[in-house]
Formats: sequence, structure tokens, C-alpha cells
Amino acid sequence: MTRKNRLLEGIAASPGIVMGPAHVLTQEGQVSTRLLYTDQEVAEELKGFNRAVDQTEEELIRLRREIAEDLKEHAYILELHLLILRDRMLLLETQKLIKEQNFNAERALYQAFLKIKEVFQRIGDKHIRGRIQDVEAVYRRLRGHLTGRGASKTFEFPEPVIIVARDLSPAETTHMSSSQVLGFITERGGKTSHTAIIAHSLEIPAVVGLDNATLKIESGEEVIVNGVSGRVIVNPDEAMRRSYQVRREEFETFKWEVTQGSSLPAVTSDGHPTRVLANIEQPDEVSLAQKYGADGIGLYRTEFLYLGQRQLPTEEELFHHYRQVVWAMAPREVTIRTLDIGGDKFLSPLEYAPEINPALGLRAIRFCLKEQKIFRTQVKAILRASAFGQVRVMFPLISSPRELHDARLLLESVKGELAREHIAFDQKLPVGAMIEVPAAVTLADLLGREADFFSIGTNDLIQYALAIDRGNKSVADMYEPLHPAVMRMVRDVVQVSRKLGIRVAMCGEMAGDPLYIPVLLGLGVEELSMNPTSIPVVKRVIRMTSLSEATKIARRALALATVEEVNEYVNKEMDHRFPDIFRFGRPLVANRVL
Amino acid sequence: MAIKETKLWTIEKELWVENRLGLHARPVAKIATAAQQFDADITLEKDGLVVNARDLLDVLALDCPQGTRIVLRTRGPQAREAATSITSLFARKFEET
Repeated sequence: MTRKNRLLEGIAASPGIVMGPAHVLTQEGQVSTRLLYTDQEVAEELKGFNRAVDQTEEELIRLRREIAEDLKEHAYILELHLLILRDRMLLLETQKLIKEQNFNAERALYQAFLKIKEVFQRIGDKHIRGRIQDVEAVYRRLRGHLTGRGASKTFEFPEPVIIVARDLSPAETTHMSSSQVLGFITERGGKTSHTAIIAHSLEIPAVVGLDNATLKIESGEEVIVNGVSGRVIVNPDEAMRRSYQVRREEFETFKWEVTQGSSLPAVTSDGHPTRVLANIEQPDEVSLAQKYGADGIGLYRTEFLYLGQRQLPTEEELFHHYRQVVWAMAPREVTIRTLDIGGDKFLSPLEYAPEINPALGLRAIRFCLKEQKIFRTQVKAILRASAFGQVRVMFPLISSPRELHDARLLLESVKGELAREHIAFDQKLPVGAMIEVPAAVTLADLLGREADFFSIGTNDLIQYALAIDRGNKSVADMYEPLHPAVMRMVRDVVQVSRKLGIRVAMCGEMAGDPLYIPVLLGLGVEELSMNPTSIPVVKRVIRMTSLSEATKIARRALALATVEEVNEYVNKEMDHRFPDIFRFGRPLVANRVL
Repeated sequence: MAIKETKLWTIEKELWVENRLGLHARPVAKIATAAQQFDADITLEKDGLVVNARDLLDVLALDCPQGTRIVLRTRGPQAREAATSITSLFARKFEET
């Protein structure tokens, strides 16, 4: 196993690049099994088991008390483990197996754990199913006490190490201080596992989900952990170590620059101003948007208050939420998208049959124009909130001028109502049409007559334009933001809006991916709205791009006939111009860590 | 209207899982902790499956993502307090989003 430069690949779980000696935490051995023959043996086994439960409980309570101040928010995990420890399925089941099957405690506990595991495998929701990790952590800790080996490994090392383990329980992770531990490698877990979350808050690089890591790496071997790419290099040679040093410095510089620059304006290198906005769903996400330097909210999704509710939200409730966002962002703009939801999402009092093809069904503006009472209530709340800052409203899934016209009529009628009631609102509230149906692209010139702005919703537009359901695995790889058809649509919408003198924005995942930014700028998109965590990287790309270059890139991309050619060209161009963003920026955005 | 409280009085409430991640670790821990404080039988039902609200792993295994409908039943001397406490946890979305 001493071969140089062994490359292992796992899942990047906490960014950063680090090198150090591996410390492999070995697995416990086989479960010992024996049958108990006398009542006395059974009684003793039960006593031993109960003692181990008590010891485990004491240990968890102690850990909860000792948990570091900056990890206090993770204390609930220990709380959870305490509850699991006393849960019927684990505790009573083990006791029962000892008493009735005459299993020794270790075997009985193992059986009980396996049974829980079986139950959990049937759980549909993957977050909930993933909690088997917590059950396993408790099982292992309890078993450690049972066999007298003690589950809480002590972490005292002569020098800082990289921990390699099958899995780490939260308690174990929190007990490793960053001065002792340089990085984590685990066989289990995903991006949202406890190890990942805690490694994140400790700012320790981590790679998880690396199969057989504890077998492939030996204690004492030098290891490079790349928490950005998910790669691990074991036993690096001199050249690899040097390139590691370079990579590490590049990453640290990149991270520093990106974070530092997030509050600077998004102006291209040749002085052309653009706007970088945030997509949010909840009022409390405003603070994220501000932290990452958003110039406003480009998409405030409003479905949340309606989903899974037995009763429709009241005007007051909606108003309260909207005002909170508008107020917090003022004087910056907040673009509120009216309800983008299908009839089938409503549980009651509206009853709609489930649709076979909801993406093409009664949803968004279609639904709102049909259920005018719901729509009016929302529009009224939006208008009322508009008195407290800068609000824009936009209607989703517009496919004809008629729909936009009807929505505007309703808006005007609500305005009249408010005026009669002497309630304040913004008389000049800008009204936008979302461009996310191919028909809206074709009819943009007509829609523009009644719209103050356009917002291109790429997620739906790409899905409808290419007839690709991204949730369908068999075709998901054909979902191509740079498809020539999509680029032409964006170009056409921009041209129309320029001719009419109205603003055009883009929301949707494409707008927040650094890879597409120069193409989009080159196509003339000047407002980009994205997940707040993408903002710093995107702003950096914008500041490093000149509009004249971007225009050339877009022109060349538009001249290519196939999406394969476009992808190859844009990737090459970006790799060449922004090697660091390519290497670090996209993974960082994908990991939502900055 | 006077409700006669007897030991056998059962309170039944329909609840909806509204927080984004559904009944995952933290909400379930909150439910179990709350349930342990009352002198009442507290059950949760989903699609005909009934579990004791104190049995954390059973509640997890009910598999309740966002949008799930649950029926809460409480019974016993503190049935009303228990129902209020559990209902308010759901209403506050377990203080999550």
C-alpha cells in the first residue's frame, strides 16, 4: 500500500485543501454471539446491558454539557441520541431478545439495531431515512460500553492528523478540535450528513462517502484532502506535494477575494454596470441576500405560505410577510412573483383532481385567473407592502397577451379598492411578465406593451423549449442551458425589450452559474437573480469580464450549430479565462458554502 | 359549551407537516420531548398507521415529509394540555423553515 499518489474519490463535504498524516479509526470487530442457558445468566446479561445504557446516557449528557460554544446549535443531535438510546425499538427490543431468545446482550442489541435498519430502509423520504446514521451512532456507542471497550475514542495525537473513519458520530466530530484535526475522510455520509455540517462549521476540509477509505488508507500515510473536488491523494510524491501547496494557496486567495468582493458593485471590467439579485423564498433569507451583497431581490417566491396548508393564508398574513421583506431590503428593490402553484397543490377548500402532466396544467397565472379570490387577496397584500419600499410584481407562466392583460386589469381593480379604503400603496408599482413559455418569447413584442419589465425564468423555459423533464433521469442530461434554441430565445427577448425600452432580468439556475455569466452578459442580460450563496462568485466573474469580450463570446456561441459545440467552446473559453473560478468557483457554488 | 372532562376523553386534531424537511430528526425529538411531559396517551396517525408520539423512532419511521396529513389523538388527565403543546409545535413549524 505504499504506492505513491494514490487517487481516491469521494464527495466534497466541506471546502478547503489540507495535507497531513492519516489516522485511521478502526472498526469494531465481529459481534460476539452466545446463548444464555440459565435464568441467572439472563439476569446478569440484562444487568450488564442496563448498566451500559446508563453509562452511555451519562456520556451523552456529559458531551452535551461540554460541547464547544460555537457548536451549541448542534447540541440537539446529542439530545436526539439520548432519546434514541431510550427508544422502545432499541431498548425494549434488546431486553426482550435477551429474555425471550436468550441472546447475549451484544447480539441482542445488534439484532435490534438490524431490525430498526430494516424499518428505516422502507422510509421514502431520504432525509428521514438518513437518520439511521444517528441510530447507528447510538448503537455503536452503546455497544462500546457493553463490550467494555468504550465507544468514545479519545483524540490525543502527537501531531495534527487527518481522521479516516467509517463514519463519525456528531459527538465524535465535535470532540475533535481543529488544532488536532486537519481534515476528515469518511466512508459514510453525504453532503448533508452531520459530519459535513459540523466540519463546515469548524471550517475543516472533509471528504465523505469515500468507499472503503479505512481499508485503502493506513495510519501514518501522508494524505491530501481536497474538500472542494472531493478527491483524496494518498502518499503524494514531491511533485504532487508542491502542486498541492500551490493549489491550496490559490484556493485560500480565491476564497478571500470572493468573500471580500461580494459587497462591491457588479460592474464589468469595461465599466458596464449590471445588477446581481437574490432569489428568496422566506423572509428570513433576506439576511443571507444582504450578507452576500445582493443588489435587491429578483425573485421572491410566494408559494410557501400556501403549501400544505389546510386554510388559505389571509391578506394580513401575506402582507405581514411581504412587508417584512420589503422593509428589510429597502431602498433596494424586491420583485414579488405571484403564486406559481397548481390546483393540485391545494388541499382544501379547493378540490382539484391530480393532473397527469402538472407542468402543462392548471398552474401559476392560469390558476390565479381562475381562482380570482385567492389572486386578489395576494395582489392586495403585495400592493399594501409596496408602500413600505421598492416593490415590483411579476406574473409567472404568461403565455399570451390576454393573460397579462387580465392580470393587469385585476391589479388595477384592486388598486381602486385600496384607494377607496384609503390604504397606501405604490401607484407606479412596476408590473413584469415572466418569460418562461416559448409562446411568450415569440410574443414578447406584444407582451412588452403591457409589461414594465421581463424576467426570463430559465428553469421552465429550458424545460418547455427542449421538452425535457429534468426530474426524469432518462432525459435529464439533455437539459442544456446552452442549447442554441435557448440562447436564441434569450437573445430575442433581450432585443425586443431593448426596442421597447423595458428592463429584462433573468432568474433561474442558469443565472447563478458562473459558467454561463459571460454568455448571458454578451446576450445583453443585465440583471441576474440567483441563490444568495452564488452571488459572490458571480459578481467576481462579472468584474473580471469586459462586456465587449462577453459580446464576442456570445456571438461565437450563437454561431455554433449544436449544443455539444457550444458547451465545448464555452467550457474552454471559461477554463482559459477564469481557471480559478472553474476549479473552485463552481464547486463552491454547488456546495453553497461561501 | 361545557365539555365534560373524563379520563377517557379523547381529543382529536388534524395536523399538517409544513416545515420543509418534514418530520426529520429535530422535529421528532421535539415531539417526543414534549409528549413525555404530559400525563396522557398521545398518538399520531398517518394513513391508518398509529404510533405513540413518545416513540421517536416509530415517529421517524412513519415517514412524514412536508405536506403529510397527520391525526393527533390525546387521551388522559392532561389530554388537552398535550394536544395544545403538540399542535403548537406543528403550527410553529418546529421553529424551522
